[in-house]
Amino acid sequence: MAQKGDLLLQMTGVQKRFGGAIALRGTDLSIRAGEIHALLGENGAGKSTMLKILAGVHENDGGTITLGNKPFQVGSPQASIEQGIAVIYQEPSLFLDLSLAENVFIGRQPIKGVGIDWKAAQDEAGKLFKELGVSLDPKRQARGLSIADQQVVEIAKALSMNAQIILMDEPTAALSASEVERLMTVMKNLKAANKAVIFVSHRLDEVFAISDYITVMRDGATVSQNPVANTNLQTVIKEMVGRELTELFPKTTHKIGDVVLEVKDLSNPAFFRNVSFNVRSGEIVALAGLVGSGRSEIARAIFGVDKYETGSVKVKGKELKKGSPVAAMEEKIALVPEDRRQQGLFMIAGVNRNISMESFPNLVNRIFINFKKERALTATWKEKLSIKFADASASVDHLSGGNQQKTVLAKWLATNPDLLIVDEPTRGIDVGTKAEVHRLIDAAAEEGKAILMISSELPEVLGMADRIIVMREGHQVTELTRAQATQENIIAAATTGKVA
Amino acid sequence: MNFLSHLRPKGREASLGIILVLTMGVTGIINPRFLTGDGTRDLLSSTSIVALMAIGIAPVVIMRHIDLSISSTVGLSAWMVANLCAHHKNFSWWQCFVIAGLIGVAVGALNGILVAGLRLPALVVTLGTLYIVRGLVYVISNSVDYNAQEMPPSLLAIGHHVFLGLFPLTFILVLIMMLITAWFMKYRKPGRDCYAIGSNPPAADLVGIKVFRRTFLAYVFSGFMAGIAGVFYLIRFAQVDSTAFYGQELAVVAAVVIGGVTIAGGSGTTVGAVIGALLVQTIQGALAALGVDAFWKSAINGLLLIIAIWADRILARKSENALLAQRIKERA
Repeated sequence: MAQKGDLLLQMTGVQKRFGGAIALRGTDLSIRAGEIHALLGENGAGKSTMLKILAGVHENDGGTITLGNKPFQVGSPQASIEQGIAVIYQEPSLFLDLSLAENVFIGRQPIKGVGIDWKAAQDEAGKLFKELGVSLDPKRQARGLSIADQQVVEIAKALSMNAQIILMDEPTAALSASEVERLMTVMKNLKAANKAVIFVSHRLDEVFAISDYITVMRDGATVSQNPVANTNLQTVIKEMVGRELTELFPKTTHKIGDVVLEVKDLSNPAFFRNVSFNVRSGEIVALAGLVGSGRSEIARAIFGVDKYETGSVKVKGKELKKGSPVAAMEEKIALVPEDRRQQGLFMIAGVNRNISMESFPNLVNRIFINFKKERALTATWKEKLSIKFADASASVDHLSGGNQQKTVLAKWLATNPDLLIVDEPTRGIDVGTKAEVHRLIDAAAEEGKAILMISSELPEVLGMADRIIVMREGHQVTELTRAQATQENIIAAATTGKVA
Repeated sequence: MNFLSHLRPKGREASLGIILVLTMGVTGIINPRFLTGDGTRDLLSSTSIVALMAIGIAPVVIMRHIDLSISSTVGLSAWMVANLCAHHKNFSWWQCFVIAGLIGVAVGALNGILVAGLRLPALVVTLGTLYIVRGLVYVISNSVDYNAQEMPPSLLAIGHHVFLGLFPLTFILVLIMMLITAWFMKYRKPGRDCYAIGSNPPAADLVGIKVFRRTFLAYVFSGFMAGIAGVFYLIRFAQVDSTAFYGQELAVVAAVVIGGVTIAGGSGTTVGAVIGALLVQTIQGALAALGVDAFWKSAINGLLLIIAIWADRILARKSENALLAQRIKERA
């Protein structure tokens, strides 16, 4: 059993590259028993890569990792578990049909005689829940548990496997305030049991409330490691964003015209409340904030995929019918969703069919689709967006992420929308294509389209937007003009809810 | 035997049991002949075949798969066993069971290799083997039928064993199989693995469950039970032709689903599957006893099926709504 303060994990100069891209360029991290350690950094700083190395998902290319006094055996998730490292993901994957006790002991159910000893499993799971300070009935089914409680079950499972180091990847991103409090109790109890807890979080108020130690990462390297008493919010924010805005943004200034979209007091109590803003022709408005702050849900409500309870959406002064994507499209609204594979594309269909999907009415002569027109349409957008593909009818599944994203954009641009909503338009695509997507969005604004952009990447928000609305836990915290916005005040608003 | 208390049917099984008793009671009041020894014996004896198959496919359905080939397997096993008996006069009853079991295992293994090994969709694979196996019966039978005089008397005698004047031996065997599998599914790790696989297949892989082996064995078991059901068919009808039990696979699937084994996988018990089979057969029998036109039989079966999954949906929605309400409260 580890004593409080024992060095459990030491990472020195750890490196990792994926093909040409460097994810970690020399990361240091020291973790002691009985410590809650926060790992901070912007998107792309390398936190997830680091966690995945410890979880046994990736192998590091350089540097040393030691556990106690033994070298860490990189290999498989199984090997990491055996070495006492457990990872709790943001979205736990429990067996929803099984009881909590069985979820804790799945594959390792205690045996008495010839059969499973359910009583022992339930008692043991109940004991673990109690140690964690949470009252959950081990006999109940996992279905219907909140995300927070599902995480607790995962943590209990980790403890039952004798985990010493518990990694949590943004555990609070999807939790409500009271659930966060509960998770914090659990973390404190783990700390009291001399476990080491490493957690990634973007909510800086929480980080300062609970951590003993803060490590800040930027661009794949450790920037600072400090006990929480030796640092403060301003310093940490500065260390996180110290990154130069090297990416070039093609943002140009265009003529801003009439109001196209007017959202007033929009509420869907489970996700967002009293949201009001407008977007004008030629203008790019960004919705900034953390994942789970209700941004995508607002976009879905405007487009009619989801319903909202109160408030109104007006397009060019006319009230838009609630809950009807067809009505939204008739008013020339387009939504490029955040998940292109699940929501944006028909993965088994070709580029041509994907692009023409929403433009069928213009391609049909009497009854049949005019494939000549479809080919022409595809060729036009291939050229305009420089989408790279060999065969227009081969399934888009084979395209790179960047070309898939351009195909989704082409599909919606082909409908010639007045309002284009883009949700995380450059997630998971390479830097070169990112710049191209930015250029395309800018060009759309130039043409007089109104753009509502949701993005978690600050450089993108600062580089592209004319105005920035910052969301936090479903509330609109503040609205900043391009001139007012800085990385620091956006992060502060999104993570603490306070306007700097 | 404290495991019996843990196997005690809960929720779904209990409410189905009540419906079952009500159906029998009401029908018995209207038509007293329905509840006589003869009526009950007949009902239980015809239920035995479907119930045995239901026990067999329950683990497969729990794993989020399906086996449509079972009634073709019944046909193959029944015809083959009868054929062997006709050619070997001194065949005894237990040899019939062994042969039938082996035939079932062979078909199950084929399904298992295709679904678990080649990862082909179960619905399509077993639809394919449904036709292949039935086709095989047509070809080898060459339109030859068999009757009671070609079957071993020791086999047919099983059909005449009745306990307490009500329970045919075949039904007792079904109950024994039900208890053994229910125990296995609840108290042995491979049984639990079935639930885990059906509940969340990628997560099952992640926790190191042997998905291929479990899936393969579930199909072998399903085939085995269908093979044995072939012998039950001979015991009950004492005759067989190439169309034996043709088209009954969906009745078995319906019985299992009505019995609370969800088609989406992860939940249900073999006890429920047997109660489902009993309920379907009882309602069929009741309709006949009440003088309802036989044409209504399948329509009522279908209605029962839809009500069953509708009930599941209502329960699921209830827990979703409770979660959402909690979220709204906490966001306020």
